[in-house]
Amino acid sequence: MSSNRTRAARLGRSALDWLEERTSIVSMAEHFLYEPVPSRGRWLYTLGSATLFLITLQFLTGILLLFYYVPTTDHAWDSIYYMMSQVYFGKLIRGIHFWSANALIVVIGLHMMRTFLSGAYKRPREMNWVVGVFLIFIVTFLAFTGYGLRWDQEGFWAWEVGVMIASYTPLIGDWVVTFLLGGDTIGPASLSRLFAIHVWLLPALLAPLIGVHLFLLRKHGEFGSEFEYSERLARLRERRRLEGYAEEEEQ
Amino acid sequence: METRRGPARPVEDGEVITEENVYERPDRPMAFFPGQVVADLTVSAVLLGVVVALSYLVPAPLTEPADLSTTSYVPRPEWFFFFYDQMLMFFPGSLLIPVGGVVIPLLFFLLLLAVPWLDREPGHSLSRRPFAAVVAFLIVLAVVLNMLLTLVRILNFPQS
Ligand code: HEM
Repeated sequence: MSSNRTRAARLGRSALDWLEERTSIVSMAEHFLYEPVPSRGRWLYTLGSATLFLITLQFLTGILLLFYYVPTTDHAWDSIYYMMSQVYFGKLIRGIHFWSANALIVVIGLHMMRTFLSGAYKRPREMNWVVGVFLIFIVTFLAFTGYGLRWDQEGFWAWEVGVMIASYTPLIGDWVVTFLLGGDTIGPASLSRLFAIHVWLLPALLAPLIGVHLFLLRKHGEFGSEFEYSERLARLRERRRLEGYAEEEEQ
Repeated sequence: METRRGPARPVEDGEVITEENVYERPDRPMAFFPGQVVADLTVSAVLLGVVVALSYLVPAPLTEPADLSTTSYVPRPEWFFFFYDQMLMFFPGSLLIPVGGVVIPLLFFLLLLAVPWLDREPGHSLSRRPFAAVVAFLIVLAVVLNMLLTLVRILNFPQS
Protein backbone atom coordinates (compact mmCIF):
# COMPACT_ATOMS: atom_id res chain seq x y z
CA MET A 1 0.00 0.00 0.00
CA SER A 2 1.56 3.28 -1.01
CA SER A 3 0.36 6.60 0.37
CA ASN A 4 -0.81 9.37 -1.92
CA ARG A 5 2.40 11.22 -1.34
CA THR A 6 4.71 8.45 -2.52
CA ARG A 7 2.40 7.81 -5.45
CA ALA A 8 2.59 11.49 -6.43
CA ALA A 9 6.36 11.40 -6.03
CA ARG A 10 6.58 8.35 -8.25
CA LEU A 11 4.36 10.00 -10.85
CA GLY A 12 6.51 13.11 -10.78
CA ARG A 13 9.64 11.06 -11.17
CA SER A 14 8.32 9.12 -14.11
CA ALA A 15 7.19 12.38 -15.74
CA LEU A 16 10.71 13.72 -15.31
CA ASP A 17 12.15 10.46 -16.64
CA TRP A 18 9.84 10.76 -19.65
CA LEU A 19 11.02 14.31 -20.29
CA GLU A 20 14.65 13.44 -19.65
CA GLU A 21 14.57 10.58 -22.15
CA ARG A 22 13.17 12.84 -24.86
CA THR A 23 14.85 16.17 -24.16
CA SER A 24 17.65 15.49 -21.61
CA ILE A 25 16.33 18.59 -19.87
CA VAL A 26 16.95 17.22 -16.38
CA SER A 27 20.62 16.37 -16.86
CA MET A 28 21.06 19.68 -18.66
CA ALA A 29 19.58 21.59 -15.73
CA GLU A 30 21.83 19.67 -13.34
CA HIS A 31 24.81 20.39 -15.52
CA PHE A 32 24.02 24.11 -15.50
CA LEU A 33 23.03 24.46 -11.88
CA TYR A 34 25.88 22.54 -10.30
CA GLU A 35 28.75 23.86 -12.38
CA PRO A 36 31.54 24.69 -9.91
CA VAL A 37 32.33 28.42 -9.83
CA PRO A 38 34.69 30.53 -7.70
CA SER A 39 33.06 31.61 -4.47
CA ARG A 40 35.04 34.43 -2.85
CA GLY A 41 34.19 37.29 -5.21
CA ARG A 42 30.67 36.27 -6.10
CA TRP A 43 29.28 39.81 -5.87
CA LEU A 44 31.85 40.98 -8.39
CA TYR A 45 30.67 38.28 -10.77
CA THR A 46 27.03 39.40 -10.66
CA LEU A 47 27.76 42.21 -13.11
CA GLY A 48 27.59 39.95 -16.18
CA SER A 49 24.24 38.47 -15.23
CA ALA A 50 22.96 41.95 -14.28
CA THR A 51 23.85 43.07 -17.81
CA LEU A 52 21.99 40.08 -19.19
CA PHE A 53 18.99 40.85 -16.97
CA LEU A 54 18.81 44.48 -18.12
CA ILE A 55 19.11 43.50 -21.78
CA THR A 56 16.25 41.04 -21.27
CA LEU A 57 14.22 43.88 -19.75
CA GLN A 58 15.05 45.99 -22.82
CA PHE A 59 13.80 43.27 -25.15
CA LEU A 60 10.58 42.76 -23.17
CA THR A 61 9.68 46.43 -22.71
CA GLY A 62 10.83 47.19 -26.25
CA ILE A 63 8.36 44.68 -27.64
CA LEU A 64 5.59 46.21 -25.52
CA LEU A 65 6.49 49.71 -26.73
CA LEU A 66 5.92 48.44 -30.27
CA PHE A 67 2.25 47.91 -29.42
CA TYR A 68 1.79 51.70 -29.55
CA TYR A 69 4.81 53.32 -31.14
CA VAL A 70 4.27 54.49 -34.74
CA PRO A 71 7.52 54.92 -36.68
CA THR A 72 6.40 57.76 -38.94
CA THR A 73 7.50 61.39 -38.76
CA ASP A 74 3.85 62.50 -38.37
CA HIS A 75 2.94 60.17 -35.53
CA ALA A 76 6.05 59.05 -33.67
CA TRP A 77 5.99 61.86 -31.10
CA ASP A 78 2.20 61.69 -30.66
CA SER A 79 2.29 57.95 -30.12
CA ILE A 80 4.83 58.36 -27.33
CA TYR A 81 2.89 61.23 -25.80
CA TYR A 82 -0.24 59.09 -25.90
CA MET A 83 1.60 56.23 -24.23
CA MET A 84 2.84 58.48 -21.45
CA SER A 85 -0.55 60.05 -20.74
CA GLN A 86 -3.27 57.53 -21.67
CA VAL A 87 -2.05 53.96 -21.89
CA TYR A 88 -2.26 51.71 -18.83
CA PHE A 89 1.27 51.20 -17.54
CA GLY A 90 2.55 53.19 -20.50
CA LYS A 91 4.64 55.35 -18.19
CA LEU A 92 6.02 52.25 -16.50
CA ILE A 93 6.91 50.41 -19.70
CA ARG A 94 8.58 53.40 -21.29
CA GLY A 95 10.16 54.34 -17.97
CA ILE A 96 11.70 50.90 -17.59
CA HIS A 97 12.97 50.97 -21.17
CA PHE A 98 14.54 54.38 -20.60
CA TRP A 99 16.00 53.85 -17.13
CA SER A 100 17.10 50.30 -17.77
CA ALA A 101 18.96 51.54 -20.86
CA ASN A 102 20.80 54.01 -18.67
CA ALA A 103 21.49 51.41 -16.00
CA LEU A 104 22.65 49.01 -18.71
CA ILE A 105 25.37 51.41 -19.83
CA VAL A 106 26.59 51.73 -16.25
CA VAL A 107 26.46 48.00 -15.54
CA ILE A 108 28.08 46.89 -18.80
CA GLY A 109 30.85 49.43 -18.17
CA LEU A 110 31.38 48.07 -14.66
CA HIS A 111 31.37 44.49 -16.00
CA MET A 112 34.00 45.42 -18.55
CA MET A 113 36.06 47.15 -15.89
CA ARG A 114 35.73 44.14 -13.57
CA THR A 115 36.97 41.70 -16.21
CA PHE A 116 39.79 44.09 -17.12
CA LEU A 117 40.92 44.57 -13.53
CA SER A 118 40.77 40.80 -12.89
CA GLY A 119 42.80 40.11 -16.02
CA ALA A 120 39.98 37.68 -16.87
CA TYR A 121 40.64 38.19 -20.60
CA LYS A 122 43.92 36.30 -20.44
CA ARG A 123 44.48 32.95 -22.07
CA PRO A 124 42.24 31.06 -22.80
CA ARG A 125 39.49 33.72 -22.48
CA GLU A 126 40.72 36.22 -25.07
CA MET A 127 37.63 35.73 -27.23
CA ASN A 128 35.25 36.36 -24.29
CA TRP A 129 36.77 39.82 -24.20
CA VAL A 130 36.73 40.36 -27.97
CA VAL A 131 33.06 39.40 -28.19
CA GLY A 132 32.44 41.68 -25.19
CA VAL A 133 33.95 44.67 -26.99
CA PHE A 134 31.55 44.09 -29.89
CA LEU A 135 28.67 43.80 -27.41
CA ILE A 136 29.38 47.15 -25.75
CA PHE A 137 29.78 48.69 -29.21
CA ILE A 138 26.34 47.45 -30.27
CA VAL A 139 24.75 48.52 -26.98
CA THR A 140 26.13 52.03 -27.50
CA PHE A 141 24.56 52.24 -30.95
CA LEU A 142 21.28 50.92 -29.58
CA ALA A 143 21.22 53.69 -26.99
CA PHE A 144 22.01 56.29 -29.60
CA THR A 145 19.37 55.18 -32.12
CA GLY A 146 16.75 54.86 -29.38
CA TYR A 147 17.25 58.51 -28.45
CA GLY A 148 16.35 59.55 -32.01
CA LEU A 149 13.19 57.44 -32.18
CA ARG A 150 11.44 59.83 -29.80
CA TRP A 151 11.38 62.33 -32.63
CA ASP A 152 11.38 65.18 -30.14
CA GLN A 153 13.68 68.19 -30.36
CA GLU A 154 16.30 66.77 -28.04
CA GLY A 155 16.49 63.32 -29.59
CA PHE A 156 16.09 64.45 -33.17
CA TRP A 157 18.86 67.04 -33.12
CA ALA A 158 21.22 64.78 -31.20
CA TRP A 159 20.65 62.15 -33.87
CA GLU A 160 21.20 64.77 -36.56
CA VAL A 161 24.58 65.60 -35.01
CA GLY A 162 25.43 61.89 -35.06
CA VAL A 163 24.58 61.61 -38.75
CA MET A 164 26.62 64.74 -39.42
CA ILE A 165 29.63 63.20 -37.70
CA ALA A 166 29.13 59.94 -39.59
CA SER A 167 29.16 61.92 -42.85
CA TYR A 168 32.77 62.83 -42.06
CA THR A 169 33.84 59.20 -42.00
CA PRO A 170 36.86 59.02 -44.29
CA LEU A 171 36.16 57.35 -47.67
CA ILE A 172 32.70 55.92 -46.92
CA GLY A 173 31.03 58.99 -45.36
CA ASP A 174 28.47 59.51 -48.14
CA TRP A 175 27.55 55.89 -48.20
CA VAL A 176 27.05 55.82 -44.42
CA VAL A 177 24.74 58.85 -44.62
CA THR A 178 22.62 57.30 -47.37
CA PHE A 179 22.41 54.12 -45.33
CA LEU A 180 21.29 56.02 -42.22
CA LEU A 181 18.90 58.48 -43.87
CA GLY A 182 17.47 56.45 -46.73
CA GLY A 183 18.44 59.34 -49.05
CA ASP A 184 20.69 62.40 -49.01
CA THR A 185 18.47 64.43 -46.71
CA ILE A 186 16.38 63.80 -43.63
CA GLY A 187 12.85 62.75 -44.53
CA PRO A 188 10.18 60.20 -43.63
CA ALA A 189 12.45 57.40 -44.87
CA SER A 190 15.05 58.41 -42.28
CA LEU A 191 12.82 57.53 -39.35
CA SER A 192 12.01 54.17 -40.98
CA ARG A 193 15.74 53.49 -41.20
CA LEU A 194 16.34 54.57 -37.62
CA PHE A 195 13.49 52.34 -36.49
CA ALA A 196 14.64 49.32 -38.48
CA ILE A 197 18.18 49.72 -37.15
CA HIS A 198 17.10 50.09 -33.53
CA VAL A 199 14.42 47.42 -33.50
CA TRP A 200 15.76 44.79 -35.87
CA LEU A 201 19.31 45.22 -37.08
CA LEU A 202 21.12 45.88 -33.81
CA PRO A 203 19.10 43.46 -31.61
CA ALA A 204 19.53 40.75 -34.25
CA LEU A 205 23.30 41.30 -34.03
CA LEU A 206 23.28 41.55 -30.27
CA ALA A 207 21.31 38.41 -29.43
CA PRO A 208 23.52 35.81 -31.15
CA LEU A 209 26.68 37.53 -29.91
CA ILE A 210 25.38 37.28 -26.34
CA GLY A 211 24.88 33.59 -27.09
CA VAL A 212 28.52 33.29 -28.18
CA HIS A 213 29.65 35.20 -25.08
CA LEU A 214 27.74 32.83 -22.81
CA PHE A 215 28.92 29.77 -24.74
CA LEU A 216 32.54 30.84 -24.28
CA LEU A 217 31.86 31.51 -20.61
CA ARG A 218 30.56 27.95 -20.20
CA LYS A 219 33.39 26.49 -22.24
CA HIS A 220 36.20 28.00 -20.17
CA GLY A 221 34.34 28.35 -16.88
CA GLU A 222 34.27 31.52 -14.81
CA PHE A 223 37.83 32.67 -14.09
CA GLY A 224 36.94 35.18 -11.41
CA SER A 225 40.01 36.87 -9.97
CA GLU A 226 43.49 35.87 -8.92
CA PHE A 227 42.50 35.79 -5.24
CA GLU A 228 40.34 32.77 -6.03
CA TYR A 229 43.58 30.84 -6.64
CA SER A 230 45.87 32.22 -3.93
CA GLU A 231 46.26 28.86 -2.14
CA ARG A 232 47.05 27.05 -5.37
CA LEU A 233 49.45 29.79 -6.41
CA ALA A 234 51.14 29.54 -3.01
CA ARG A 235 51.50 25.78 -3.44
CA LEU A 236 52.97 26.32 -6.90
CA ARG A 237 55.50 28.81 -5.52
CA GLU A 238 56.36 26.50 -2.65
CA ARG A 239 56.95 23.57 -4.99
CA ARG A 240 59.23 25.65 -7.20
CA ARG A 241 61.16 26.88 -4.16
CA LEU A 242 61.76 23.31 -3.00
CA GLU A 243 62.79 22.26 -6.50
CA GLY A 244 65.23 25.18 -6.51
CA TYR A 245 66.84 23.88 -3.28
CA ALA A 246 67.05 20.37 -4.69
CA GLU A 247 68.82 21.64 -7.77
CA GLU A 248 71.29 23.64 -5.69
CA GLU A 249 72.11 20.59 -3.58
CA GLU A 250 72.73 18.49 -6.65
CA GLN A 251 75.34 20.91 -7.89
CA MET B 1 31.87 17.16 -22.74
CA GLU B 2 34.30 14.79 -20.99
CA THR B 3 37.36 16.62 -22.28
CA ARG B 4 36.16 19.92 -20.81
CA ARG B 5 38.80 21.90 -18.97
CA GLY B 6 38.10 24.58 -16.44
CA PRO B 7 36.86 24.58 -12.89
CA ALA B 8 34.61 21.55 -13.45
CA ARG B 9 37.62 19.25 -12.95
CA PRO B 10 37.18 17.15 -9.82
CA VAL B 11 39.29 17.96 -6.77
CA GLU B 12 42.48 15.92 -6.61
CA ASP B 13 44.24 16.24 -3.31
CA GLY B 14 47.74 15.16 -4.21
CA GLU B 15 47.60 17.21 -7.42
CA VAL B 16 50.91 18.61 -8.61
CA ILE B 17 50.30 22.26 -9.38
CA THR B 18 52.05 23.62 -12.46
CA GLU B 19 51.89 26.91 -14.36
CA GLU B 20 49.51 25.22 -16.77
CA ASN B 21 46.94 23.91 -14.32
CA VAL B 22 47.11 26.43 -11.49
CA TYR B 23 44.03 28.32 -12.75
CA GLU B 24 42.09 25.20 -13.67
CA ARG B 25 39.92 25.40 -10.60
CA PRO B 26 39.63 27.86 -7.73
CA ASP B 27 40.69 27.13 -4.14
CA ARG B 28 37.11 27.06 -2.90
CA PRO B 29 34.74 26.15 -5.70
CA MET B 30 31.01 26.38 -5.02
CA ALA B 31 28.09 25.11 -7.04
CA PHE B 32 26.59 27.78 -9.30
CA PHE B 33 23.27 27.05 -7.60
CA PRO B 34 22.39 28.32 -5.07
CA GLY B 35 25.39 30.50 -4.15
CA GLN B 36 25.86 32.48 -7.35
CA VAL B 37 22.21 32.31 -8.37
CA VAL B 38 21.10 34.00 -5.14
CA ALA B 39 23.68 36.79 -5.58
CA ASP B 40 22.67 37.28 -9.23
CA LEU B 41 18.96 37.37 -8.43
CA THR B 42 19.54 39.83 -5.59
CA VAL B 43 21.33 42.28 -7.85
CA SER B 44 18.73 41.90 -10.61
CA ALA B 45 15.88 42.42 -8.12
CA VAL B 46 17.49 45.60 -6.78
CA LEU B 47 18.01 46.90 -10.31
CA LEU B 48 14.39 46.13 -11.21
CA GLY B 49 13.20 47.96 -8.11
CA VAL B 50 15.31 51.01 -8.91
CA VAL B 51 14.22 51.09 -12.55
CA VAL B 52 10.52 50.75 -11.68
CA ALA B 53 10.75 53.43 -8.98
CA LEU B 54 12.54 55.80 -11.32
CA SER B 55 9.93 55.35 -14.07
CA TYR B 56 7.34 56.91 -11.79
CA LEU B 57 9.54 59.33 -9.83
CA VAL B 58 11.40 60.69 -12.86
CA PRO B 59 9.30 59.86 -15.95
CA ALA B 60 11.24 59.23 -19.16
CA PRO B 61 11.72 62.63 -20.81
CA LEU B 62 9.94 63.82 -23.95
CA THR B 63 10.66 67.35 -25.17
CA GLU B 64 8.76 69.32 -27.83
CA PRO B 65 8.01 67.51 -31.10
CA ALA B 66 10.93 67.61 -33.53
CA ASP B 67 10.81 70.75 -35.63
CA LEU B 68 13.03 70.39 -38.66
CA SER B 69 12.76 74.09 -39.51
CA THR B 70 14.49 75.24 -36.31
CA THR B 71 18.11 76.00 -36.95
CA SER B 72 19.20 77.21 -33.55
CA TYR B 73 18.51 74.14 -31.44
CA VAL B 74 21.62 73.02 -29.56
CA PRO B 75 21.09 69.34 -28.76
CA ARG B 76 22.51 67.85 -25.63
CA PRO B 77 24.01 64.41 -25.93
CA GLU B 78 23.02 61.78 -23.39
CA TRP B 79 25.40 61.52 -20.46
CA PHE B 80 27.16 58.46 -21.84
CA PHE B 81 28.09 60.43 -24.96
CA PHE B 82 29.53 63.33 -22.96
CA PHE B 83 33.00 61.93 -23.41
CA TYR B 84 32.51 61.60 -27.14
CA ASP B 85 31.05 65.10 -27.35
CA GLN B 86 34.11 66.54 -25.67
CA MET B 87 36.35 64.87 -28.25
CA LEU B 88 34.61 66.94 -30.91
CA MET B 89 35.43 70.08 -28.96
CA PHE B 90 39.10 69.15 -29.01
CA PHE B 91 38.99 68.57 -32.77
CA PRO B 92 36.82 71.38 -34.18
CA GLY B 93 36.38 72.30 -37.81
CA SER B 94 35.54 70.14 -40.79
CA LEU B 95 39.11 68.94 -41.19
CA LEU B 96 39.42 67.65 -37.66
CA ILE B 97 35.89 66.26 -37.09
CA PRO B 98 36.81 63.01 -38.85
CA VAL B 99 39.78 62.71 -36.49
CA GLY B 100 37.91 63.32 -33.23
CA GLY B 101 34.59 61.84 -34.32
CA VAL B 102 35.59 58.78 -36.29
CA VAL B 103 39.30 57.97 -36.48
CA ILE B 104 40.22 58.20 -32.81
CA PRO B 105 37.11 56.31 -31.58
CA LEU B 106 37.80 53.64 -34.20
CA LEU B 107 41.41 53.34 -33.09
CA PHE B 108 40.23 53.12 -29.48
CA PHE B 109 37.85 50.32 -30.49
CA LEU B 110 40.66 48.42 -32.19
CA LEU B 111 42.89 48.99 -29.18
CA LEU B 112 40.20 47.54 -26.92
CA LEU B 113 39.90 44.49 -29.15
CA ALA B 114 43.64 43.95 -28.90
CA VAL B 115 43.83 44.25 -25.09
CA PRO B 116 44.36 40.50 -24.46
CA TRP B 117 47.39 40.55 -26.77
CA LEU B 118 48.74 43.93 -25.70
CA ASP B 119 48.86 42.95 -22.04
CA ARG B 120 51.94 40.70 -21.90
CA GLU B 121 52.38 40.88 -18.15
CA PRO B 122 52.12 37.31 -16.83
CA GLY B 123 50.03 37.85 -13.68
CA HIS B 124 46.31 38.42 -13.34
CA SER B 125 46.07 40.60 -10.23
CA LEU B 126 46.61 44.33 -10.62
CA SER B 127 49.69 44.36 -8.41
CA ARG B 128 51.35 41.98 -10.87
CA ARG B 129 50.23 44.06 -13.86
CA PRO B 130 51.45 47.57 -13.04
CA PHE B 131 51.41 48.72 -16.67
CA ALA B 132 47.80 47.63 -17.29
CA ALA B 133 46.80 49.19 -13.97
CA VAL B 134 48.35 52.56 -14.83
CA VAL B 135 46.88 52.62 -18.36
CA ALA B 136 43.42 51.71 -17.04
CA PHE B 137 43.62 54.41 -14.40
CA LEU B 138 44.65 57.05 -16.94
CA ILE B 139 41.84 56.09 -19.32
CA VAL B 140 39.21 56.22 -16.61
CA LEU B 141 40.60 59.54 -15.42
CA ALA B 142 40.51 60.98 -18.96
CA VAL B 143 36.92 59.79 -19.48
CA VAL B 144 35.71 61.21 -16.17
CA LEU B 145 37.45 64.57 -16.68
CA ASN B 146 36.04 64.87 -20.19
CA MET B 147 32.55 64.06 -18.93
CA LEU B 148 32.88 66.81 -16.32
CA LEU B 149 34.04 69.28 -18.98
CA THR B 150 30.98 68.48 -21.10
CA LEU B 151 28.70 68.71 -18.10
CA VAL B 152 29.97 72.18 -17.28
CA ARG B 153 29.56 73.23 -20.91
CA ILE B 154 26.00 71.89 -21.08
CA LEU B 155 24.97 73.60 -17.86
CA ASN B 156 25.90 76.86 -19.59
CA PHE B 157 23.70 76.20 -22.63
CA PRO B 158 21.17 78.96 -23.37
CA GLN B 159 18.06 76.75 -23.32
CA SER B 160 17.82 74.58 -20.26
C1 HEM C 1 25.66 42.23 -23.66
C2 HEM C 1 26.55 42.43 -22.79
C3 HEM C 1 27.19 41.37 -21.92
C4 HEM C 1 26.62 40.31 -21.29
C5 HEM C 1 25.15 39.90 -21.28
C6 HEM C 1 27.68 39.62 -20.57
C7 HEM C 1 27.48 38.51 -19.76
C8 HEM C 1 28.49 37.89 -19.05
C9 HEM C 1 28.29 36.95 -17.99
C10 HEM C 1 26.93 36.47 -17.46
C11 HEM C 1 29.52 36.59 -17.53
C12 HEM C 1 29.84 35.64 -16.36
C13 HEM C 1 29.70 36.36 -15.05
C14 HEM C 1 30.73 37.45 -14.81
O1 HEM C 1 31.94 37.18 -14.86
O2 HEM C 1 30.30 38.60 -14.65
C15 HEM C 1 30.50 37.26 -18.34
C16 HEM C 1 31.87 37.09 -18.26
C17 HEM C 1 32.81 37.79 -19.00
N1 HEM C 1 32.56 38.90 -19.79
FE1 HEM C 1 30.73 39.56 -20.31
N2 HEM C 1 28.88 40.25 -20.82
C18 HEM C 1 28.62 41.33 -21.64
C19 HEM C 1 29.55 42.26 -22.07
C20 HEM C 1 30.91 42.16 -21.90
C21 HEM C 1 31.87 43.18 -22.25
C22 HEM C 1 31.53 44.56 -22.82
C23 HEM C 1 33.11 42.67 -21.95
C24 HEM C 1 34.47 43.31 -22.12
C25 HEM C 1 34.85 43.98 -23.14
C26 HEM C 1 32.93 41.34 -21.42
C27 HEM C 1 33.95 40.49 -21.05
C28 HEM C 1 33.76 39.34 -20.29
C29 HEM C 1 34.84 38.47 -19.86
C30 HEM C 1 36.33 38.61 -20.19
C31 HEM C 1 34.23 37.48 -19.07
C32 HEM C 1 34.93 36.30 -18.36
C33 HEM C 1 35.08 36.68 -16.91
C34 HEM C 1 35.63 35.56 -16.09
O3 HEM C 1 35.68 34.40 -16.56
O4 HEM C 1 36.03 35.85 -14.95
N3 HEM C 1 31.57 41.07 -21.37
N4 HEM C 1 29.84 38.07 -19.25
